[in-house]
This record gives sequence, structure tokens and C-alpha cells, in this order.
Amino acid sequence: MARRIIHLALFKEDQVDETAEALEALRGMGIVDRDISVISGTPFSEKMLGRPMTWTRVPIIAIAGAVVGFLVAAFLNFGTPLLYPIRVGGMALQTIPTSFVIFFELTMLGLLISTFIGVFVESISPSYGPAGYDPRISDGQIGVLFWAPPELDPKLHETLTGLGAEIIHGTETKKLWLF
Amino acid sequence: MAAEVKPIANTLHTPSEEHEELREQLMFDPRPREELNRMVLDSMTHTTPRYWTAVGVLTVLVLTLLLGMWGYLIFTGIGISGERRPNYWGIFIVTFVFWIGISHAGTFVSAILRVFKAEFRRPFTRAAELMTTFGLAAGALWPLIHLGRVWVFYWMIPYPNARWLWPNFRSPLVWDLLAITTYLLSSTIYLFLPLLPDLAMARDRTTGWRHAIYRALALGWRGTEAEWARLRKAISIFAFAIIPVMFSVHTIVSWDFAMGMVGGWNSTIFGPYFIIGAILSGVSAVITILVVLRATLKNMTYFIRPEHIDALGKLVLVFSMAWAYFFFNDYLVQWYGGHDVVRALLSFHASGPDAWIWYCMLLFNIVIPWLTLWNKKLRRTPWVMLVVTLLINVGMYFERYTIIPLTLGHQRMPFDWGEYSPRFPEISLALGSLCLFMLLYLLASRLIPMVPVWEVREGQEAHLVRKVGKTVVPTVSELD
Repeated sequence: MARRIIHLALFKEDQVDETAEALEALRGMGIVDRDISVISGTPFSEKMLGRPMTWTRVPIIAIAGAVVGFLVAAFLNFGTPLLYPIRVGGMALQTIPTSFVIFFELTMLGLLISTFIGVFVESISPSYGPAGYDPRISDGQIGVLFWAPPELDPKLHETLTGLGAEIIHGTETKKLWLF
Repeated sequence: MAAEVKPIANTLHTPSEEHEELREQLMFDPRPREELNRMVLDSMTHTTPRYWTAVGVLTVLVLTLLLGMWGYLIFTGIGISGERRPNYWGIFIVTFVFWIGISHAGTFVSAILRVFKAEFRRPFTRAAELMTTFGLAAGALWPLIHLGRVWVFYWMIPYPNARWLWPNFRSPLVWDLLAITTYLLSSTIYLFLPLLPDLAMARDRTTGWRHAIYRALALGWRGTEAEWARLRKAISIFAFAIIPVMFSVHTIVSWDFAMGMVGGWNSTIFGPYFIIGAILSGVSAVITILVVLRATLKNMTYFIRPEHIDALGKLVLVFSMAWAYFFFNDYLVQWYGGHDVVRALLSFHASGPDAWIWYCMLLFNIVIPWLTLWNKKLRRTPWVMLVVTLLINVGMYFERYTIIPLTLGHQRMPFDWGEYSPRFPEISLALGSLCLFMLLYLLASRLIPMVPVWEVREGQEAHLVRKVGKTVVPTVSELD
């Protein structure tokens, strides 16, 4: 397998159009979308940069959490009276109207906590795209990270610097988090 | 009859002048992201002797008025408070409802305004979300204080005791525990999620212990497309889901009263009445805090502008009107019902020895907001808004005081009527919780970015000025 080098092309804050052009140029040179990653300090939609839609499991994890919350509520509402029934004259052992509150609260609790768990797990999971970072990203600069074979180097440099980018080699993501 | 005609050309502004006027608005006064970052970090790291004095004084007050007094209360027993027959619920529950009400602002300002894409929300969502978290923390203390025997708190947690008895899940008090826990957890996460990009920004620009904290909390944020997509999705789920949770919390708090067969409490309208009151006091508290932040925190005059206080002032006026409507609705239906107990109670509120509380409630919640907040100039004057919003919160405290001890003291058995007089321990604890809230806020203002920089910058990029004919008009485009 040919050796590939990670490049980071940094564009200024107001160079969104140039970034989109650079992405188009990279595709023109045969670099596929999965080998490119855009990092920015301000969110840009995929449509703006002409990028494929990103996919996240967060909604699925959230729904799973809501289902778990609902089941816990069902146990508390209808299971616990069966575990230790206290019969009070004229009152039903299990009631529907009062159960709504517990169902609602625990379903929402499950939904919201699992949403966070989804974000957390996806954040710390290894990503398969090109990794790299520069602190100037959080100053608003837009970074285009990509893998490219060495033979494309001269052409890449010419094209990207022509669009106003600063090229950085060997960026790293070490020391960004605990591990 | 001769009419005096003036040429209008003199009053017309040129497009460039109009463009310049628009720069009064934060969204039309953009600055480079680097500068915004620097301004926010400056505000976090800049401390004065006055700040440390305030932290020191508040710490001492929290230790003495709140923790010391709570310890004394536990040691001697709840009998040292003014709570005795027939007033078993007093300042403890009044203050609990007050703080839970305050906590509604964060969700309202952040989630509802986010869902409706109200652009003016951008610079102060975090200040409001922090208020929710700290308001809930201050509020959650009160059921524990009110328990007296705080060490048996775990009896409310859903697990069986030694005799296999589970908590009664049909009781509004257990619902309270679940609702407040849900709201506290979800509002804390809702505060944390939009913080991620700002924590990463702080991580990249700090050293030492600050860097270590931000590095741990930023979860390795780089700003990739996947991270932004995930964050947007999660914020969107939260913004929609936390709104019904917010409604449920104060509705359940109102059910603590409305589910009881107590004259003046057993009302079907208590749920929405409490919610409106909570939002009124919460949004007012947001204004109070914004005015204080603007005056005391470095660079905040750029981010928090009269336009924001003006917009929130309009919301307060609307909610003051809504509160008046619900109050009148509740009052009229109870009065018209003609029950002797309720009529006597309503007369007692308006003409008893504590009637001044009832009148102050109406004065602060209706008369003063209606007389002032219709005026744009007053709405844009920070000190006026500070006074008005503080008075509204005093009024809302009086409302809860009227609903709880003043109502409990005049029930069905006239021989059992009684006056409630809060004693020093209760007053000390209430002031202590206020000090705790202020202390937490003061400390947080130096630890986390108080302004969501990325949201402000995103908004500034979405706002443009378009020339239409001979004038310029502000436009906003949807970036997501």
C-alpha cells in the first residue's frame, strides 16, 4: 500500500468559498471524500462546503435510552405494587392516571441521559478519518485535513496555496484529551 | 387651512449611516473570532480585589447562614423554626418553590428561543443555563432541609426498604423528586453540551491547572464535521425534550398543593399558573444577572447590549400580563364558587394582618412592570431594569408566601387558625441559599466562558445587511 501523508490546509475565517473550492480541487485530484475531513471553530453545514452528509448514532442511542426509561417506569408503576401489595379499601392496586407522571419523567430522563452518553461515547471513540489539529482552528480558521500520496505534493501545494491556504504537515491530536 | 410641509429628504439617513446604526446590534457589529476568544478569556481570567472580597464574604455567609444554621437545625430539631400547627409549610417550601421557579429561565431562554430561532438569545444563553443549574442546586436543598431528619432522605429513592416497602409512586412528593432529578441532570447536560467548543477554545489558550481542567472537559473536541453534526443533533434533541420536562417540573410542584383538599389550593389551574409565574420570575432573574454581569465582568458591554435587555424586557411584560390573567382567573373562580372557607381566605389575604404582602405582590408583579416596561427607553436602561426585575422576584416570593403559609393558616376550622411568623433560622437559611447561588455564579464566571463564542460568531456570520431601494435592511440567513 502506498505511503500516505496527512496534510492540513488552513484557511482564514472568511475564506469559506475558497475552502469549498479547495475541497472540489482535492476531489479532482482523486482524493476521495472519506480521506478528507474539515475542522472548524464555527459550524458550517455540509451543503456549504459540498461535503457528504455526516451520520451520527446519537438519535438511535437516545431512543434506546427512552425505551429503557419507559421500561423502568413500567416496573416502578406496575411491578412494585405486585412485589409488595398494600391493599387499601376502595383503591386500585395499579392505576393508570398516576402512572403517566412516572412514565413521562423516566422516559425523558432516559432519552436525555442517553443522548449525552451517545455524544460522549462517539467523542472518545476512534475516528477513521485523517486526524490532526491546530489551535488556530478555535480562532475561527477552517482546516482541511486529508491524506494524499507523496507524488501529489507539488500539485497540492500549488493549488491550495493558490487559494490562500497555509499547508501544515504532520499535525497531531495528542494532548487534546486525557488519553 | 395651511399645512406646514417639511421636506422628508433631510430626515432620511444615507445607507451608510443606517448601516452604522445597525452596529448597535451585536449581530451587525462582528469582530474576528480570535478577538472574541480573547475578550471572553480576559473576562474569565481578570479578577480584582473586589471580586475576591465578594467571594470571601459570600463563602463566610454560606458557611454560617446556610451550612452552620442547617447543622444547628439538624442538631436541635425542626422545632426551632416557626413551623407549627396549622402552618407546617413555611419559608422552607416557599423558598423551594421560588428557586425551582428561577430555574425555569435557563430552559425558557435557551431552549424555547433556540427552537424558535430567536437570534437575540445568542450571547446570554449560557448565563441563563447556569442560572437554571445553580437555581436547581439551591432549590434542591430545601426538601432536604424541610425533612428535618435529612439522613432518611434515601427513603424517597425508588428502592425497597428493609420491610420491602417501596415509595408510594402515586404521591406528588415522589413525583417531585423524580421531576427535579430529571430536570437537574438534563439542564446540567444542556449547559455542558454547547460548552464543548468553548472549552476547547479555552484549552487551546490556557496553561497550568486551567488547561488540565479544560482538556479533560472538552472531550478532545477538534471541530470536525462529525463533531458539529453530533453536537447539533444532541442540542436539537435537548432543546425539544427539555421544554416538556420544564413544564412538568413546575406543574408537579404545583400539584404538591393542588392535589391536597386544602381551601385555596385545590385548583385545576395551579399547573399553568405556577409555570407562568416561574417563567416570569426566571426571565426577570436573567435580566438581573445580565445587568450585573455587564457591569462587573470585563468586555461584557460588547456582548450584552441594551437590545438584549430590551428584548427580555418585552418578554417580562408579556409574562407579567399572562401571570395577571392566571391570577385573576384563579381568584375569580374561587371567589365565585362561594365556599365560605375560600371566601374567608380571600378576604384574609386582602385585609388580614399580612395583607401588605398580598398588595406588594400585585404591585411588584403587575403595576410596576406594566407602568415601566411598555417604554422602550426604560427597557433599554440597565439600572431601571435591575430595579424592576428585582422587585418582580420579590413579588414572586410574596406570591408563594401568600399561597403557602398565609393560606394554610386559615382553613376549614376557625378554632385552628393561626399566624405564621418565620423565625431567625428560616430567614438565615433562605438568605444563605441566596448567598450560595451568588457564590456559585461568581466562581463559575471565572471558570467557564460566560458567552457562547461560537454561537455568537455563527450568528454574526448569518446576519447581513441588504440594500433595498434607498435603504438598507437587516437580513438573517439560516446556516444549518
